[in-house]
Amino acid sequence: MDLSQYAELFLAESREHLSACNQLLLEWERSPANLAPVGGLFRAVHTVKGMAATMGYARVTDLAHRAENLLDLLRRGGRTANDELLQLLFRARDALEQAVELSVVGREEEIDVAEVVADLDDAAAQLGRAGEAGGGIGARPTPVPAATPAIETAVAAGRLVQVTLRAEAPLKGGRALLVIKKAQAVGPVHAVTPPESAFEADEFDGRFSFRIGGATGAADIERAVRAAGDVEHVTVGGEERRALPAPGAPPAAAPETKSRHIRVELGRLDSLMDLIGELVTVRGRLNELAASARDPAIDDVAIQVSRLSRELQDEIIQARMTPVWQVFDRFPRLVRDLARELGKQVAFRVEGKEIELDRAILDELGDPLLHLLRNAVDHGVESPADRRRRGKKPEGEIVLAAVRERASVAISVRDDGRGIDRKQILERAKRDGVVDPHAEALTDDQLLRVLARPGFSTADAVTSVSGRGVGIDVAVTRIRALGGSIDIRSEEGKGTTFVLRLPVTLAIVRALIAGVGAERYALPLTYVAETVEFGVQATTIVEGREAIVLRDRVVPLVHLRRLLGVSGDAPTRCPIIVLEMGERRSGIVVDGMLGQQEIVVKGFDAPHGTLPVFSGATIMGDGVPTLILDAGGLL
Amino acid sequence: MSHTVLVCDDAIFMRTMISDILAQAGFEVVGEAETGSQAVEKYRQLKPDLVTMDIVMPDMGGIDAVREIVKHDPDAKILMCSAMGQQALVVEAIQAGAKDFVVKPFQPSRVLEAVQRVLG
Repeated sequence: MDLSQYAELFLAESREHLSACNQLLLEWERSPANLAPVGGLFRAVHTVKGMAATMGYARVTDLAHRAENLLDLLRRGGRTANDELLQLLFRARDALEQAVELSVVGREEEIDVAEVVADLDDAAAQLGRAGEAGGGIGARPTPVPAATPAIETAVAAGRLVQVTLRAEAPLKGGRALLVIKKAQAVGPVHAVTPPESAFEADEFDGRFSFRIGGATGAADIERAVRAAGDVEHVTVGGEERRALPAPGAPPAAAPETKSRHIRVELGRLDSLMDLIGELVTVRGRLNELAASARDPAIDDVAIQVSRLSRELQDEIIQARMTPVWQVFDRFPRLVRDLARELGKQVAFRVEGKEIELDRAILDELGDPLLHLLRNAVDHGVESPADRRRRGKKPEGEIVLAAVRERASVAISVRDDGRGIDRKQILERAKRDGVVDPHAEALTDDQLLRVLARPGFSTADAVTSVSGRGVGIDVAVTRIRALGGSIDIRSEEGKGTTFVLRLPVTLAIVRALIAGVGAERYALPLTYVAETVEFGVQATTIVEGREAIVLRDRVVPLVHLRRLLGVSGDAPTRCPIIVLEMGERRSGIVVDGMLGQQEIVVKGFDAPHGTLPVFSGATIMGDGVPTLILDAGGLL
Repeated sequence: MSHTVLVCDDAIFMRTMISDILAQAGFEVVGEAETGSQAVEKYRQLKPDLVTMDIVMPDMGGIDAVREIVKHDPDAKILMCSAMGQQALVVEAIQAGAKDFVVKPFQPSRVLEAVQRVLG
């Protein structure tokens, strides 16, 4: 049987179980007396063991088996968790993960788990001994009483049946019990030797005998016994019969079956998305042709093509959606390990795990979030002593939360730590010339701009965890590249919150097409709140910037014509596109609106010196390339 | 007519593999269950000719599921799927009414032999 086709499924499912192990261990650590997580751990490790054995990964199987042994003892013994035990189980989980990953890529011989295996065995042996001495811990459950009393008390008569099971038969006790059951169907069975309770022991060697009453002939008894499978020899009433060859070939292969889930390679979904992207572009061209042809028949076809391709596109986008827990689930363990390393106490909470994002975006989120969480543990949350001095509870809190907002998802990392020392950063920013030397305070926006400068670090001492000046700038760049934004809120002594906003999907977005001079620009609708008309709205000057006031809120204006250096005069009345990203708003003044359209976003490496206001490019229906404006850059 | 099968295991990997083995041999996998209670529920709905049952599952384990199913249908044909070292559990499952068992890692020929024995 070719097992390679199952390797990917094995890997994916093992990862899920190992990730669950992390959550369960953390849960057990939080409430050591609650044994529910141990049962879950046992099941997860057991499942990985079964799968690995089937794949023929001997080392994974062995490691999982030893971990399972220990977990089984713990589960039965009702032990509360202690630090040493938890550390060992965390280590075993990590070793198992590594062994799984190496096995799947054919590097099984590199697996080195001797040390953790020895520690697992030691711990299991200790628990086992404690069980024998103290009773309870490690004890096996009471065996279920075997065989019906009627048989035990039957008259000792009938034929003696001696059975030897095949040497290679697994779990011989189970097989022997099946033999007894089969025999019972043809006559009363008694005098089972060794007694049935011995079948439960691993040492049972597969040789046993019993007496069977009634009038059944020797041949029928033997047939019944052999029907249980794995029988090597049977002697009925002193007459020995040789083993028959194994039953014939299985029935011929036949039709396929139904299944409700299949796993698809991610690359397939990507190329499907690319194809749909091209279809969307061609659809745009068809619509333009139909509009100029003024032929109702062509119009009809164009409308149908539009509808079908939109449905197709919705389906494929849906197929790419992935819940954020797939990335979030590794963080609780990470935060725990960091906190231990740094001597902090942290309660970590995750909210909105079920919120979905395009797989491509989610894949990019891991690193930025990792940086922000490291910062929160290292620089945000104070040491327990520090926190007590400030009248806070010794345990700090970090919350990672995902929330759906219109066409975007907001992911926040919030801590209740010391907050960012604005004075220190202001000094540094003045020295570096990032802000006006006479500035007296930093707004949140300015703060982010300073923090996001490459190489900026506020750490007094560079720790191994963070504070190397990488982190926030990396996070900001990544998020911006995904068409998203980062906001920061920080209050001294109370904590810091970073909010990442991301489009739900990357590849195809609905956009406003705006005209400036002779050029067209696309502006994704993700962050467009509304449009108003310039020249009708009264403008005012706020903090030196031209702005409009919209429902009591100040919206600073950006004239795209000026920003892009387009010569000539703007029309007297022109539209303002109001962008909104979290708390920030901005009004983009353009020459005219040319409608809305689906656009296919193509990656874009802006040449050096280009204004940081474009996030990509797209091809319009008429085949002309058009730049996509970056809402984050315009705000 | 081909025999119908209900496959119960908490791992998709295992369900897929067992389903593949049985499908290639001409059986019709009519349902899958991830937990013991699902297995009991689906058995009632689907009345399959054969059930393959993992021993260790969340929520309700395989052995309890066998007890429940046999309580309602003493003729239920249930094949246990166990791992090495589960001697005591397999014995318990057979006492509960399971008709046969196979041991992981699965070899298709052994699985099919066991299935034939159970259905035979």
